[in-house]
Amino acid sequence: MYPFGRGIARHLPLALLMIPLLLYVVFAFGPSMATVFFSFTDATGIPGVRWHFVGFDNYRKLLFSSDQAERLRSIRNSLEFAFLVVVIQNAIGLFMAVLLNRKLKGDAFYRATFFLPVVLGVTVSGLVWRMMLNPMSGPMGELFKMFGTRSNFLSSYDAAFYWIIFVQIWMYMGYSMTIFIAGLQSIPRDLYDSGHIDGASGWKAFRYITFPMIAPAVTVNTLLSIIGALQTFDIIYVLTNGGFNTRTLALDVYRDAIANNTTADYGLASAGAMVLFLFVFVFTVVFMYLLRRREVDL
Amino acid sequence: MAESKSSAVFRYAVVLFMLCVYVLPLFYLFNVAMKTQIEYLKSPIGLFEQFRFNNFRTAWNQGDFSRYIWNSVLYTSVTTAASILLSLFAAFPIARRYVRFSNLIYLFFTMSLFLPSPLVPQFWLASQLGLYNTQWGYMLLRTGGTGIAFLMFVGYIKSVSKELDEAAAMDGCGYLRFIFRILFPLVKPVLATGVMLTAIGVWNDIIGPTIYLSDTKYQPITKGLFAFFGQYLNNWPLLACGIMIIAAPLVVLYSFIQRYLVSGALAGSVKF
Repeated sequence: MYPFGRGIARHLPLALLMIPLLLYVVFAFGPSMATVFFSFTDATGIPGVRWHFVGFDNYRKLLFSSDQAERLRSIRNSLEFAFLVVVIQNAIGLFMAVLLNRKLKGDAFYRATFFLPVVLGVTVSGLVWRMMLNPMSGPMGELFKMFGTRSNFLSSYDAAFYWIIFVQIWMYMGYSMTIFIAGLQSIPRDLYDSGHIDGASGWKAFRYITFPMIAPAVTVNTLLSIIGALQTFDIIYVLTNGGFNTRTLALDVYRDAIANNTTADYGLASAGAMVLFLFVFVFTVVFMYLLRRREVDL
Repeated sequence: MAESKSSAVFRYAVVLFMLCVYVLPLFYLFNVAMKTQIEYLKSPIGLFEQFRFNNFRTAWNQGDFSRYIWNSVLYTSVTTAASILLSLFAAFPIARRYVRFSNLIYLFFTMSLFLPSPLVPQFWLASQLGLYNTQWGYMLLRTGGTGIAFLMFVGYIKSVSKELDEAAAMDGCGYLRFIFRILFPLVKPVLATGVMLTAIGVWNDIIGPTIYLSDTKYQPITKGLFAFFGQYLNNWPLLACGIMIIAAPLVVLYSFIQRYLVSGALAGSVKF
């Protein structure tokens, strides 16, 4: 029952909801849908030029054109980026959450510190790591020297991509950790007490009590990090701008659409966005199915 | 639960190591910011000789930060305030089912997470509507009531008893008045987190201004820092000062409200 009056007052909630709804439809949902349409045209950024439907030409161009090797590497990079980020970020996030969930001196300070990079944002975090990884004078170079080795870090064709992954995990581990901690705090203490009587402690307690109980947090973290990792490109933009074999699908979409202003290719960029969406969709559905089934099994 | 000594040592060792990974880069940033260029070139990773807070003023002036920072303040305050308000307008009726198809609308709003990147048509549309390279256009594009703040509000409002609405309505309180006078103070824990996460998104946005604001006089501080970075590529002390200037406002804000964040307001309410 709606308590706030009848008649015209009854429509106030909907009227106010229409503002965010309209913004969402016009600037987010609508454009997302229109991407499908754009991907089948030869639209460019040049004003006054007529568009035509070109069928699957953009998709063909994306996969089989002269820069095929680069394009395929972008796709492979996207998948590798997502896989490594999801696995490592959540593993460390969960590990740290379990560690900090127990009484530990100064735990609030540790949590706040691990979350700090999210607050600093991608520009600040990215530039800080460009300083740290400066091959000429950065401290990481000195650290490597101590171990008798060296690297060009973000200017290395082999390693730059993995340093970006490292920075990405550095930035968002605290976010995963925070979600895991909230999950851990919702577990009733007496579960562990009764588990203890049954001989479940240490690893066993984690395996049979903790891990099943935080299934919702695992689901949220996995999905958020899969989607985030596949769609992110601002960190790459800040660290290498796609140089040194660090392009991904998401960065390519941006570059095709905007970055090369004179040759902006809306059709090609949209086709890239659709391929990226296909990955996001497939992984989300598969993981949602697997994780939900695990939640129900309890 | 009793704990063996060795495992306590192990836990502190791990935490200490992780703390180093997070704190050392930031300390290094400060260390470099306090040096002169010559001091940096002589010993890039050595400890700074003395505090040189004047470096901040030099960076501020040379990077022309005063121009950029007002844009950032404008964009961040306006879009955060508007987005939070719209998020409440969207979240309250959906959480309470005061509109039809509440669940469907909720699902519809969360879909944007998975959908294809709207980048290309959005850019095209913005150009057509004359939003390109205008301050209002950029703020309009950044404003929305369906982001993380919305998700958190829905989760939180569901946990607030509905009897409150009925009691207030009985006393003659209208819908809008209820939102502003009663709901607003009530959602404070998630409000703090929502405001911060929204503000972080706008303040730190680098891609949005790169796409939509080509004119330097409209660009925010992130673009300013990036330009500064290109210009003074080897003057790391100045750059470090610039980075710290940009990070400062949010870090200060964060230090005030981080206890809300850690209380799990963020996590508990993000559900699919």
